[in-house]
Amino acid sequence: MNNTLIEAELPTELAAQAQAFVAAGWATDFNDLLAEALRRFLESHEASVTESFIKDDIEWGLHGRD
Amino acid sequence: MEETDQRPPLVVCDAGPLIHLDEVGCLDLLADFPVVLVPGEVWREAQRHRPSVLVQSVVTLRQLTSTRPVPPALAAMARLLSLHAGEMEALRVALEHDPALLLTDDTAARLAARNLLIRAHGTLGILLRAIRRGQRSKDELIEVLRELPKKSTLHLKRSLLDDVIREAERLP
Repeated sequence: MNNTLIEAELPTELAAQAQAFVAAGWATDFNDLLAEALRRFLESHEASVTESFIKDDIEWGLHGRD
Repeated sequence: MEETDQRPPLVVCDAGPLIHLDEVGCLDLLADFPVVLVPGEVWREAQRHRPSVLVQSVVTLRQLTSTRPVPPALAAMARLLSLHAGEMEALRVALEHDPALLLTDDTAARLAARNLLIRAHGTLGILLRAIRRGQRSKDELIEVLRELPKKSTLHLKRSLLDDVIREAERLP
């Protein structure tokens, strides 16, 4: 697998929680944890699903009854 | 609840719509609903990210915290979709106040809502509804939509926002 080096700023508290999670042995290392978190986020926020919800909002907003 | 019912429903708010509506000066649109419930965890998120939402006087927000056990279906959904604490509590409160309308801008939370048979809409729905309900004129609302990328932290693909604006412009 090819890897890309990225630089990111994280909220201090969130980074500390993630480091504690890794230190407790729940993830191989910080990189793996970040990759897994990103993968899960992208899976659950698939663009087509988001778009379908926006279309629902348009329909309800403009033509709903309540 | 069937959308044929014309009465505005009780709403349960996640943090996103509270913050995004306030960013574009439209928090007052929530005053059209009989009750706006804000779960405790969502309240704390709003306190962290946009405390002004909680001290305004345009809409009454009722803070509440669920004391009942988390339904197993919701617990499973929260794990599957990696829901945040606020999203999970909003879903839980919506389940407890069936047939409430959940307001959330999070796709995962909306997926969970769909699976749990909870009606859910987001900030865009509330904004567009304002035209239908006579809370804003079409022109006023289209201006809000145009300013959305500059004024709001709601992330939306530009082409999709253009579609939304076109739909609004088509109204008589």
